Amino acid sequence: MSGPRYHRTRRQDKRLVAFECQDCGWVSFPEAKQICKRCGNAPASFEEVKLAERGEIQTFVVQEYLPEEFEGPQPLAIVDLPQADGGGEPARVYGLLTESNLEELSVGTKVDARFRELFTDGERPINSFKFSVPRGEK
Amino acid sequence: MTDAYVVGSGMIDFGELYDKSFDNMLEEAYLNLLDDVDKGVDPKSDIDAIWYGTIDFANEGMSGAAVGHALGQFGTSTTQIVNACATGSDTFRNAVMAVQSGNVDVALIIGAEKMTDATEGLIANAALQRLWRGRGVTMPAYFGLRATRHMDEYGTTREQIAEVSVKNHKNGSKYPHAHQQFQCSVDDVKNSPTVSYPLNLYDCCPITDGACAVLVTSDDVTNEFTDDPIRVAGSGLATGSFQELDDQALSHFPASRRAVSQAYEQSGLNPKDIDVAEVHDCFSITELVTYEDLGFCEEGEGGRFVEEGHTRLGGEIPVNPSGGLLSKGHPIGATGVAQIAEIYEQLRGEAGAVQVDSPETGLQHNVGIGRNATGSVGCVNLLERP
Repeated sequence: MSGPRYHRTRRQDKRLVAFECQDCGWVSFPEAKQICKRCGNAPASFEEVKLAERGEIQTFVVQEYLPEEFEGPQPLAIVDLPQADGGGEPARVYGLLTESNLEELSVGTKVDARFRELFTDGERPINSFKFSVPRGEK
Repeated sequence: MTDAYVVGSGMIDFGELYDKSFDNMLEEAYLNLLDDVDKGVDPKSDIDAIWYGTIDFANEGMSGAAVGHALGQFGTSTTQIVNACATGSDTFRNAVMAVQSGNVDVALIIGAEKMTDATEGLIANAALQRLWRGRGVTMPAYFGLRATRHMDEYGTTREQIAEVSVKNHKNGSKYPHAHQQFQCSVDDVKNSPTVSYPLNLYDCCPITDGACAVLVTSDDVTNEFTDDPIRVAGSGLATGSFQELDDQALSHFPASRRAVSQAYEQSGLNPKDIDVAEVHDCFSITELVTYEDLGFCEEGEGGRFVEEGHTRLGGEIPVNPSGGLLSKGHPIGATGVAQIAEIYEQLRGEAGAVQVDSPETGLQHNVGIGRNATGSVGCVNLLERP
């Protein structure tokens, strides 16, 4: 193995790069794909798009009961990240929340993607985005 | 094309079964099945093929050879089915299709799971082993996300969600095979420790060992086994994901909707025809949204539906008279097979203290989570008195 599997999508995760199906408009993030999982076109034509850093919480939980390796609470949301140019459909992603008061979280809350250490695999940190409620707008 | 009939079931008492090995559980379920079939089964000559459901959580039951070892059935073709928490129901479905095709006259379906032998629990498994794509989503979180969204979108209350657990524990306390034999109140559910807000401990099914077997036969041979068979009226299986970007998938399970549509279409039945149902209630919220997914009530009405008692024993459509996964437990490969056994008992009038009043048609449903918590798989089987 030449590297851990999560390195395959490192560029997309670092830069919020996604792929838009030119047939139905569905946005794949972070995986680069040849087939659209929504319209089923195979092969589908995908174009690279950039996602905005600010998205909107669609729903959330606050995970309290976790394996020992994790510090609780770990709030987690499904977030819609729009495309940076304002067009097309958003990408719908999971994201852990950080640096936010739990009281601020609700469906519809705006959150910003922050590049953070997501976990460690025991040897090295695994970096990707987490979400936080924007400072100064609280 | 022939019809397929359920002609017997063998359930074991679910629980934390440390004293029983995986093989012991398979043996017990099978022996109970042999005892249950009205006119008897010859284990050495009657069974044409076996379908075996387990996700092999404890790493000792992989492949059909496990059934050969446990049941002395090395010579009988045995297919293992793995399909997340729909494993048991899909195992049944595959056996039914083989019987309906005319290739198999007598099919044994057996599902089992040893949940308590695993060194890592489901939560650790989901969060750690697949942390990258799943991004730290635990099982209670996956379902809790639906609860938050359902409350926000439809005004469903915390109390209404708790009512599912109250109902199912009440049923389970009367069902001899259930793991958890206690009742609880809405306050008990609300005051139990938070697992993943908004879900608490009593919103979650327990960690349970178990096994169950059922026998399915074709038109040609059914009367050699019983004069009171239960017909398989239809089945469905589908997948779905919130990543399809349908907002409904934030609170519901498109996989369940697709699966039940297939089953209703195949059988010609509709939700109003269903007299009793065993549905997937791994968490309280799962059952509440499943009422809506299966068409038992209107979109967004699941909270009111359970609160008003429509799904209690004696209600218009009793759901999970066995206590459901919340009370009976959820040994994954066994879960769906046990639900089939329970519907079979109900339709034959053999369900004892949890018997529904003369049901003619029953529905069995599982919804499972797969692909690192990004997708779901739904399976539905419909049974009816012929």
